[in-house]
Amino acid sequence: MWGSLLRRGARGAGGLRGVASGGPPWSQVVSEAEKIVGYPTSFMSLRCLLSDELSNIAMQVRKLVGTKHPLLDTARQRSLAEITELIHTAFLVHRGIVNIGELKSCDGPLKDMQFGNKMAVLSGDFLLANACTSLAQLQNTKVVELISSAIGDLVQGIYYENSKSSEENCLTDDIGISTWKEQVFLSHSALLAKSCQAAMELAKHSAEIQDMAFQYGKHMSMSHKLHSDLQPFVKESSSDTVAFSLNSAPAVLHQEFLGREAWIKQIKEAQGKGNIMDYKKLQEAIKAGKGVTSAIDLCRCHGSRALAALERFPPSEARAALANIVYAVTRFP
Amino acid sequence: MAPFPLSRAQRPEGAAGGKAKQLPPARTSSRQPCERVAAAPGFRVRVAAVAEGGAGAARLGDTMALRWWWWRWCGAPSRRAPALGSLPRLRPPGPGCRSPPPPAPGAAVCHFTQRSSTFSFPKICNIFWRCSKTASDEKYQDPFQLGRKDLKNLYEDIKKELLVSTVELKEMCDYYFDGKGKAFRPMIVVLMARACNIHHNNSREVQASQRSVAIIAEMIHTASLVHDDVIDDANSRRGKMTVNQIWGERKAVLAGDFILSAASLALARIGNTTIISVLTQVIEDLVRGEFLQLGSKENENERFAHYLEKTFKKTASLIANSCKAVSILGCPDPKVHEIAYQYGKNVGIAFQLIDDVLDFTSCADHLGKPAAADLKLGLATGPVLFACRQFPEMNAMIMRRFSKPGDVERARKYVLQSDGVQQTTYLAQRYCHEATREISKLRPSPEREALIQLTEMVLMRDK
Repeated sequence: MWGSLLRRGARGAGGLRGVASGGPPWSQVVSEAEKIVGYPTSFMSLRCLLSDELSNIAMQVRKLVGTKHPLLDTARQRSLAEITELIHTAFLVHRGIVNIGELKSCDGPLKDMQFGNKMAVLSGDFLLANACTSLAQLQNTKVVELISSAIGDLVQGIYYENSKSSEENCLTDDIGISTWKEQVFLSHSALLAKSCQAAMELAKHSAEIQDMAFQYGKHMSMSHKLHSDLQPFVKESSSDTVAFSLNSAPAVLHQEFLGREAWIKQIKEAQGKGNIMDYKKLQEAIKAGKGVTSAIDLCRCHGSRALAALERFPPSEARAALANIVYAVTRFP
Repeated sequence: MAPFPLSRAQRPEGAAGGKAKQLPPARTSSRQPCERVAAAPGFRVRVAAVAEGGAGAARLGDTMALRWWWWRWCGAPSRRAPALGSLPRLRPPGPGCRSPPPPAPGAAVCHFTQRSSTFSFPKICNIFWRCSKTASDEKYQDPFQLGRKDLKNLYEDIKKELLVSTVELKEMCDYYFDGKGKAFRPMIVVLMARACNIHHNNSREVQASQRSVAIIAEMIHTASLVHDDVIDDANSRRGKMTVNQIWGERKAVLAGDFILSAASLALARIGNTTIISVLTQVIEDLVRGEFLQLGSKENENERFAHYLEKTFKKTASLIANSCKAVSILGCPDPKVHEIAYQYGKNVGIAFQLIDDVLDFTSCADHLGKPAAADLKLGLATGPVLFACRQFPEMNAMIMRRFSKPGDVERARKYVLQSDGVQQTTYLAQRYCHEATREISKLRPSPEREALIQLTEMVLMRDK
């Protein structure tokens, strides 16, 4: 979807909406964006990949190869958007694999777990293979290079995620916010940023435009991650405290301000008897410090950088929609 | 070629492609003189070259194996199988070596069962000898010696492609690139590259892009191995523990994904969209092959076609398409691309068939991985499918994928008692023969001879 929006932003003309300080809610922004792109962008079911209708359409569009018809561009960029979605989903599926060696009897029969793993690996591979085949059909080696490197980044990012979660019992990672940003770039931003760039490459835009698209993708997804990490800390209702990751942005920033030792002390205090984490207590501790406010600042900072990248594109409905997305993810109550 | 007419009792329902009737029970009558001749291994091999039939064969474009399957179904399945040592060896004639003369044509025709045969035996022999003769009088070439220079730094170069910052992830990805694998696929690719280059313009140099294809092929293969080991929950390969055994399934899957992405990146850098399409097809085929393996067919004849298709997708597709890729890079003639593809496809299928045989005949230590692994995974491979012809009681075991206790052992015994292993080996020979026939269409060169020699090595290998 981002790619399609960017493409329209780079080409079309239209009115620019006024910059609002509040910004509309996320769901509204997404549905308006979908209207501009012209189709719901939720994940296509697996059946679609195998359906005859889709291949018929593909066959017809293929006849346009070699012509200069703009529909071909649209089709290819839509295809790229779908490829990105395929890859994202493939890794969601691969993330669901369990380590057989760490299973306990409460996890149920071993062969169920093994079968589940088998299905997860195969389904993920199936999605990846389809992504690769569709990539090849775009007939653009630069795009294949970009997306392949994005997959490599994604793998490394997920690898870091895995390593952290296995240590959650003991302590959090001793990382500063800059390391955190590097890891989040790999696991969350790389795919989006590089596919935005690839969408520009498909339409043969200049290197400068490609870079702008990349910057938008990178900063926007960074803001999005920060926004989602901040949710447990900025929600008004305090009755139900949700568990949060000890390696989320506010916690990492909090540790940076407080120092490692003091932070570990706070965690131990919150753990209490029987090692059950009292998230409410820890949340209060973090809120009392500077972690939350500096996370919000960081989120807005990335948001501004995303908007700055958008400035290079001529005004249009699509550009406005992209801007609204940024407003939505930098909005806090 | 005239169709192979069957007596009414054995004729399957409808034309080739229709569903077959309930199969007649295996003959157990005492052996007639004609059956002894029919059972002679060399004779069977030659007859298989002309037998028609095979449902679903057209899909693969691979009538040969299914002809063989149909012939076996209709022929007298002999319970006393010829010993493995008596198999005819398709050696390329060396200097001064004359191939043995064919048996008297007249005798073969009249002895081959009570069914009337309308094919001409001399014609078959002609085809056979013509094919052997194209393997020229060049000296024996060791494929591994010839390819050694190009492949010397193969594993080092692969490791260079795997640029990853985390030490552990790097360790996992590098785990199988330790130089202890057979490097069979890169070998074929490099030799094919040279053979095609020589055919085109007499250049013996391997282009950088062709060498990349060899590297990419090995990387794709390894990535699929890593994932296969997670899927099969395997704990040893190439004589050491698997990646999932050491580091766990989650990281193993990630490592496989990373190797694949690195291969894809290297592929993009070659800068040729045709090559990207050709090799990406492999990735899709590998996954579809795994899915094919999950399913099973009830009908025996569909089962065999299904097995061949799975074998192509899982093993042969990579070799066929990498051969095709280097031929595209080396020579503009589409006929050469087709030759390379056919060679790769036939060698690939033969390779897998022998692999399936070794699963029954070799022992675990020698193989480097557990034996009888296929049965334990519920897979009915070539030897099993042939054995099932003789021991119909295996059908039930195949359908339930050898899941009942004792099934694996019983099935193994049946296979070793039957001629399943021999039949599968014959079939592999036929594929190798076909590969030789194809590659012989290229201009003579040491590399071409090495590729022919390689087909022999595929048949003779023991791990």
